[in-house]
Amino acid sequence: MLAQYLPILIFLCISTVIGIALVVIGGLLGPTRPDSEKLSPYECGFEAFEDTRTKFDVRYYLIAILFIIFDLEITFFLPWALALDTLGMFGIVAMFVFLAELVIGYIVIWKRGALEWE
Amino acid sequence: MIVQELIFYAFSLVMVFAAVAVITVRNPVYAVLFLVLAFFSAAAIWMLLEAEFLAIILVVVYVGAVMVLFLFVVMMLDINLVPLKEGFIRYLPVAAIVAVAMAIELLMVLWSRGRFGVDMFPVPPPHSADYSNTRELGELLYSNYLLPFEVAGVVLLVAIIAAVALTLRTRPGIKVQNPSVQVRTRRDASVRLVKMKSEKPRGA
Repeated sequence: MLAQYLPILIFLCISTVIGIALVVIGGLLGPTRPDSEKLSPYECGFEAFEDTRTKFDVRYYLIAILFIIFDLEITFFLPWALALDTLGMFGIVAMFVFLAELVIGYIVIWKRGALEWE
Repeated sequence: MIVQELIFYAFSLVMVFAAVAVITVRNPVYAVLFLVLAFFSAAAIWMLLEAEFLAIILVVVYVGAVMVLFLFVVMMLDINLVPLKEGFIRYLPVAAIVAVAMAIELLMVLWSRGRFGVDMFPVPPPHSADYSNTRELGELLYSNYLLPFEVAGVVLLVAIIAAVALTLRTRPGIKVQNPSVQVRTRRDASVRLVKMKSEKPRGA
């Protein structure tokens, strides 16, 4: 069965080689004449006003974590869909109980306004 | 078989290298990217074990979603590198104790099975090309392991509620549109007709 994945392995090898080759060729053949002005950070022609690492709003984090939770929920669907013909009605009920649990969570998100962006 | 072992050792080497790099590189963003590399190598090794579903999920969920969140956190908490290094000596004894304890636990688990090695684990028979690992998983997960599956749903629900409760802040004094109120508004609420006498042009 693993032999079927041989094309993917070849693909991985070729893309790794291309990726390394691009960087190496660019580094070897490209002109590198750095000076202090070229290497200094700039911001639209000004001196940089602030550090790169500014504080984000925690709201982005909330969106990302909700995405992960629903992403995980989706992963449960794939084996379920493949095995559904042998699971029958039992499988459908099992999945809908699982879905009902997450719909409760979705209602909580909706009602608390966690998806609103002021 | 020898090709498989070569692939296994290649990915294992990459994984060990990436895992060491995670804790040694100075820039936390690079550390997260090395963690992505480690996860990806682990997915390849799982693929060698014919655990296709787990391998794909590792890439989709961990690399695609969780590591994005890690990057987010690394970039969000404006990490200054100097204070990170400060506590190194002070926390070293505690960290060493924890590390030794974990190493002993791991060794005890592995020792109880006898010396660990490739010969200790029988090679499972290779499956034919139409064997679907994911399908087998589905047939077991939604029948024999139904309760853990539903409990997983509850755990996800707890995670949703906890995430909302921990991070949701409403700032006071922000003007927001409420579309449903906007749609339901009536003419009387905003238009007022005033009766008045018609004005005559000046000088007439």
